[in-house]
Amino acid sequence: MKTLIKLESVSKHFGNFRALSNINLQVDEGEVLSVIGPSGSGKSTMIRCINLLEQYDSSGSIIVDNKLVKKGKALREVRANIGMVFQNFNLFPHMTILDNVTLAPMRTGGLSDADAKKRAHALLEEVGILDQADKYPDQLSGGQQQRVAIARALAMEPKAMLFDEPTSALDPEMVGEVLNVIKNLADRGVTMIVVTHEMGFARQVSDKVVFMDSGQIVESGTPSEIFDSAKESRTRDFLKSVLSHEAYTNKR
Amino acid sequence: MSYLKLISKFFLISIVALLSIAQSYGQDSDNQVISVGANIGNVPWEFQDTKGQLIGFEIDLVHKIASQLGKEVDIVNIPFSGLFSAVQSNRIDIAISSITITDERLKSVSFAQPYYDSDQSLTIRSDSSVKTVDDLRGKIVAVDTGSTGDIWTSENQQKYGFKEIRRYEGITPAVLDLEIGRTDGYISDIPAMQYYTKDKPNLEVIERIKTGGSYSMMFSKHNELAVEVNEVITSLKRAGYINDLHEKWFGTRAEASTSTAKTTAMPGSKEGVILNFVDTFLNKEVLLTTLPMLMLGLKTTIQLGFISIVLGLILGLALALLRLYAPYVVGFLAKAYIDIFRSIPLLVLLIIIFYALPFVGINLSPFYAAATALVIVSGAYTAEIFRAGIEAIPKGQFEASQALGLSYRHMMIDVVLPQAVKIVIPPLTNNSINVIKDTALASVVAMPDLLKQATQAQAIAANPTPLIAAAGIYLALLLPLVLYVSHLEKKYRLREYA
Repeated sequence: MKTLIKLESVSKHFGNFRALSNINLQVDEGEVLSVIGPSGSGKSTMIRCINLLEQYDSSGSIIVDNKLVKKGKALREVRANIGMVFQNFNLFPHMTILDNVTLAPMRTGGLSDADAKKRAHALLEEVGILDQADKYPDQLSGGQQQRVAIARALAMEPKAMLFDEPTSALDPEMVGEVLNVIKNLADRGVTMIVVTHEMGFARQVSDKVVFMDSGQIVESGTPSEIFDSAKESRTRDFLKSVLSHEAYTNKR
Repeated sequence: MSYLKLISKFFLISIVALLSIAQSYGQDSDNQVISVGANIGNVPWEFQDTKGQLIGFEIDLVHKIASQLGKEVDIVNIPFSGLFSAVQSNRIDIAISSITITDERLKSVSFAQPYYDSDQSLTIRSDSSVKTVDDLRGKIVAVDTGSTGDIWTSENQQKYGFKEIRRYEGITPAVLDLEIGRTDGYISDIPAMQYYTKDKPNLEVIERIKTGGSYSMMFSKHNELAVEVNEVITSLKRAGYINDLHEKWFGTRAEASTSTAKTTAMPGSKEGVILNFVDTFLNKEVLLTTLPMLMLGLKTTIQLGFISIVLGLILGLALALLRLYAPYVVGFLAKAYIDIFRSIPLLVLLIIIFYALPFVGINLSPFYAAATALVIVSGAYTAEIFRAGIEAIPKGQFEASQALGLSYRHMMIDVVLPQAVKIVIPPLTNNSINVIKDTALASVVAMPDLLKQATQAQAIAANPTPLIAAAGIYLALLLPLVLYVSHLEKKYRLREYA
């Protein structure tokens, strides 16, 4: 299996604060990786380093599709190869849903207007929003907006997708529709890294789960290795508090 | 639209009310002090000596007259074209500045009997090829706004084929531009120019232009003081005092047949009507005759405003982007530019561009000098508006664009600027209003904008109606924009609450 994303000794400082500490991570083609951990553990910072929305320290390296991720001319191509979905959707509010999805393929992908629209229609159908194509983002629910954001990222036909807490800003009743879309992508074989607090999703969909705390990878393994027989006490403590909370909400 | 009409009406009523207050206020002023308006710098009539003392033929005369009447004199410096409305609104009691008595002026103001017979003259640079007025065909002629020279030159523009008439507020700026070569000749009162060029070998008065005309002191219509002053002048002429002044200031005594030596009757208005308030400030006849002039001025104002706004927008956007995203040094320079030109008064900048740059070889016409100053300053303000607009765009919009692999250019053009524009439209419209208002400052560099044309028209007609009309035109131009901004701000506020 080919390695698509590789982080080697990646650290990140914000001034004197060490947000990431010596991260080593590898994602193979077609693999689904979930990143879990408490707030402030560096999960988001890590995936934001992969497309250089954050500049990591020069001591480490990140390789995507055999190319080093660094500032310069090649960066745009690397970014176009990695789709990203944000917690707050970040749709372009002045454009229709359709224009949101066609913009990047037309501007960067070199697609014609007609081809970009064709691709956008297919993607919007896949995420179940095709009937809203002419509306503006603020006319859609949060769940719908996040599904558009996924379609927008997919429109560049990226080699991998990064999800940065994609359901954290959603009302509870909309979480399911977005997770379903992501699950379908996973089933289709899309390579992805998902930062999430949805433990059920992580367990069901992932090939590999990474637990982070204080800017470090504490442990990683298959879902059952992490959720059923974690080696580290920090992992077990975290899972215990999260799962008891989930049990509480489920009972209610 | 009816709202607009109501506002205009309200504005007009306010002007009228304010003017009447000003009028009555002026009349209540202290009787022991005579307030005299004079265009200081008008040699040898009223100017400052090297110690800053006010001296001159008319300064001596007005002091003598006041002392005969048992009163004190307070001199106020007012540009020539401003003297007419100053006497009419009773801001001053007497206007002096070698003012020619004309029938047109007598309709709106009073004069005492004349004390000097004058003509116009043509002044040139000594090295000029111009030798007579006939040589000025196709050339640029300088005059004083609303003066007898202005009236004569305007009437004879076709006959002599003057290419352009530039109007100045006094000798100093007019001569400065003549010396630089921006104008080819200066048509102005002969005694002043003979006196002024005495010790200036680079200038030469080469031709007397026989316009006739005599100078006297000017008063508001039917002012009692005019009669009193007239009587004093009669006695001073009989005592030979005024001819003594002639000798003091011109070196020779005037001939016995001139008005300097001979007593004459007080000039009376051929139309003996007392001008009431409406005839003075809202005179329909004056309005109709001066409207074409005002429209020419409006055209210049709109052209200047439009060019300055558009170029200022482009410059401002470029500066804002440099300041926000350029490497450190360039960004710092952009910030320095913005800070400096927001601190310099526009008028100062304009005067530097127009009068100082020629010395380093940059010689801009009044229009381009004014446009340059307006663009420089408007660009600085616009840059700050754009910066605020761009900074108001959430960080997520930039990140989403970058994550999609959009280039910097497309991120700005497709994502950031369209959103920023909505935010900046109200402040940009406000800035445009300011730019249009600031075009009025261009009248100091002899540019015939709306204000300049109105000033000239009111001096020629000796009636302030053109100024009121100009105010109305500015209002008609800008009030819709002001209302538009309010409308937009309200709309955006409502959307925020929605």
